[in-house]
Amino acid sequence: MAGFEYICNRKKDAVLVIGGGVAGITASLDLADAGQSVHLVESDSHLGGQVSKLDKLYPTDHCAFCLLWTDVKKCMEHPLITVHTLSHVKELKKESGKYSAVILKNPHYIDEKKCIFCGRCVEECPAGAIHPGWEHAWPPSFVIDESSCTKCGNCAEVCPSGAINMELREEEINLVVNDVIWSTGFKEADLRHLKEYGSGTHPDIMTSMEFEDWTAEGGINKGEIVKRSNHSVPQNIAFIQCAGARDLRMIPSCSAVCCMHALKQAGWTKRRNRTIDCYIFYTDLRTVGRDYYRYSLREFEGTEIKLIRGRPGLIHPLPGGDGIAVQFENTLTRKRELRKFDMVVLNGNIQPSLIQYRPGQDEKTAIPPMDKEGFFNTESDETSTFACGFGLEPADVAESVIQASAAAMGVMNKETDQT
Amino acid sequence: MANITVFLCRCFGEIDNAIDFDLLRKELSKDTSVSSVSIVDSLCLEADIEKAASQIKETKADRVLIAACPTLSRGNLPVDGLIKEGIERHKIDLVDIREGCAWIHGNDPEGAVKKAKDLINMGLAALQHKEASKDMRVSVHPDALIIGAGPAGLAAATSLAKTGFKVNILERASAPGGMLRLISQLYPTGEDAADKLNPYIDEVENNHLITFYPQSKISSIEGCIGNFTVQFSSQGEDNSIQSGIIIIATGAKIFFPTGLYRYGEIRNVITQMEIERQFLKGSFDAKKPVFIQCAGARDKERPYCSTICCPASLKNAMRLAGENPGSEVFILHRGIMTPGNVLEKYYRDALSMGIQFICFEEEKPPMIMGNDRVEHVEVYDAVNGITRKIETDLVVLSTPLVPNDDSVRLAQMLGIEVDRYGFFSESYPMHPLETKMDGVFICGSARWPVASDQAILQGRAAAMKAVSYLRQREIAASTLSRVPGPKSGHARVVPDSCTGCGNCVAACPFEACHLEKLEDRHISKVDMMRCKACGNCVSVCPNGSMQIPEHNYRMVGEMIKRAF
Repeated sequence: MAGFEYICNRKKDAVLVIGGGVAGITASLDLADAGQSVHLVESDSHLGGQVSKLDKLYPTDHCAFCLLWTDVKKCMEHPLITVHTLSHVKELKKESGKYSAVILKNPHYIDEKKCIFCGRCVEECPAGAIHPGWEHAWPPSFVIDESSCTKCGNCAEVCPSGAINMELREEEINLVVNDVIWSTGFKEADLRHLKEYGSGTHPDIMTSMEFEDWTAEGGINKGEIVKRSNHSVPQNIAFIQCAGARDLRMIPSCSAVCCMHALKQAGWTKRRNRTIDCYIFYTDLRTVGRDYYRYSLREFEGTEIKLIRGRPGLIHPLPGGDGIAVQFENTLTRKRELRKFDMVVLNGNIQPSLIQYRPGQDEKTAIPPMDKEGFFNTESDETSTFACGFGLEPADVAESVIQASAAAMGVMNKETDQT
Repeated sequence: MANITVFLCRCFGEIDNAIDFDLLRKELSKDTSVSSVSIVDSLCLEADIEKAASQIKETKADRVLIAACPTLSRGNLPVDGLIKEGIERHKIDLVDIREGCAWIHGNDPEGAVKKAKDLINMGLAALQHKEASKDMRVSVHPDALIIGAGPAGLAAATSLAKTGFKVNILERASAPGGMLRLISQLYPTGEDAADKLNPYIDEVENNHLITFYPQSKISSIEGCIGNFTVQFSSQGEDNSIQSGIIIIATGAKIFFPTGLYRYGEIRNVITQMEIERQFLKGSFDAKKPVFIQCAGARDKERPYCSTICCPASLKNAMRLAGENPGSEVFILHRGIMTPGNVLEKYYRDALSMGIQFICFEEEKPPMIMGNDRVEHVEVYDAVNGITRKIETDLVVLSTPLVPNDDSVRLAQMLGIEVDRYGFFSESYPMHPLETKMDGVFICGSARWPVASDQAILQGRAAAMKAVSYLRQREIAASTLSRVPGPKSGHARVVPDSCTGCGNCVAACPFEACHLEKLEDRHISKVDMMRCKACGNCVSVCPNGSMQIPEHNYRMVGEMIKRAF
């Protein structure tokens, strides 16, 4: 019964989990289920991270929200987890084996526990600053966008449940924690300085996360595939893989998730509108997980997605703004072609969200060692750095949650070593 | 007669804007089962719940019907609050009249009232006939059982032991290590496999919490989460152990490409594992080796990518090129699968070392030429559009990992699933190491082909999942739910009318039903710890002997009757 006694009698010193995406949620839940108290810090207004921005998940084509929601709710309601949303870590210092952290918590002017989601505040807001944080966030609540809010107070007057308090100010929370798990996830890199991709030159050239949002079933277009420029149905869409990735000028690494992501998006485009031709321009179609290769075969054969091996050399809007010219060489037929596409989706430009930081640049935040591409380097400092998710290495949902559980186990084992 | 208190939530005008509550109250008070109808401004704020609870206690109401917003919105707050106040779950019902009624029928007030009335009536019918399932508690055996002592199993075992749990490891071979024992170096670090393995083996040998059973073969596994009983033989002796959870880390085996690329027919066509064996003995002399990827993988028979073969070829190709200066190394591939930052850099390293990559197509595989030993390989270079003749003295085939022969047998014993290829599969994509059976976890290549560092990661992750169960003294069947909140009951058999036809046994996806022999006949029996209340058994039972008390026949029948 040694293990049982140990776990029951353990000190309830907290663990700080930075990043409330799918990895952070899993790590927090695992630790809390093992009796450890957890502080989970998330910069957005709700938990869920990048997965909450996805419509579907490969390879099962499950709705991302349905899978995520149960864990988000468990996390919000767990007695041992304290969730700090709209917060970020201002200071993190390591002193005699422990970390002291200062969390800067921006106010939720709308109290999540009281908001009944009626939407009267949205109608009253003159600046249009109120919106639902994420349609399926738990608890469901509206969020005030501080950058556009004029602090007029109209919303507080009409709120029937008294959930809005504009007097709230940001607060600093001081914590002393035993360990820190970094699950900071990814962000999209700006492709504009790679001129050949034409990013930002035409509304129909979008990044894959924009496309996901634009075509999501729960999004603004209710799953319709239309052009962003004039809302007409496109005749064809080009999915460009490795845009900015596997490219020494920008992201040298392979982002690992984009091949499957493009196959998923192309497959769903075909499923929703068979008349749209989908082309995927790939370098190597990397499909290494369970059923991933079959997924690629199915999408290819079943819905006639055209796969072209080759990276376009130039993507440029056509004069008059109607359509986009894509110049490419199909490396399997060795033919150079110039073709007109109605939409272009750029895929692959994702990098760790902490890439702009450098370990040691700021004495106040003890960011763990990173490699040049911004991925945490846990091997150099194995005993004190726990990281998981895309911040550790390019990983999809399944890999991220495995890494998260493993990081949680690392925390548990380290605590045991000390006692 | 039931004594039901109905709460109609105005939701600060959101609901009674569209639905006439006075009309509704008048209709409801005609129902003899309703003792009181309260109209409240809101029910989801803390003060409201306390007020409602005290009102229920005062009026001594049996059952409570809440007409408010749905569970996915804030409807579960009053329900959970009242449960905390001591009201049993099956005595509360929630009816959605906001999203599903007031909001979408806002422009049709008459229709909205009619729909709300129907919904509430159905709720009343449900409450009158709802019963509660019995709960069951199982005391948790605090030991863990790990099947397989490869890198995944060893990582799981040492992690659990470090946390303080007793661990038993069953291994088919006579020593721990699994497939790592057959490999000389690991990618991408170039670390010796033995160096990686030895700390784990030391821990297994020296930690008194870990018991290692070599040469073991499992004959049966019984029980459920908290209390599995495993019968097995180890080194010829029969044995039996109990455990709270089971972690499966049985790994996979290597596919032998007999008949492919003339393997087994001529000399110098070997597999990746054979070259590893040579490396374990020492260096290897090959001036012009050719690696062929996807030998037996990504084809009709095995339509999957085995993950580890591309990096393994890069590793061995770079080693051969490094050890034999002046050699020319070719890798013939169908797309190099090196996702991620580390492996992509590994691929670039190989390119800069001068290793030549030739992309071929599935329809035009390379041809092995030569009489008794391979002399050259003919391959259609898909990128350059020419057929190339490569002189060679060694062909190395990269073959995939395939599931172990007995994985299906083990899966049947445990009641878990294997995928179409025979690897153990998870039940829920967001929890990739958890299976259909609570308390049974999968990791390593038994789940899906992975390299050793990933296997170790998965082993530790599976151990973490196990801790949350092992740390409890007791597990209640009602808590084994995959969604927030308790399980919605368990199936229950009416023994008198059960004919023992066995339909439920066949229909149950969780192996929770089995037939039990009585004196003169068989009847069905439900294991509450396994039952997930899916209701499959209820729908196939020919005479209604199988019921879920929370959703029984009378209740559903009454609800339908009132709806139409």
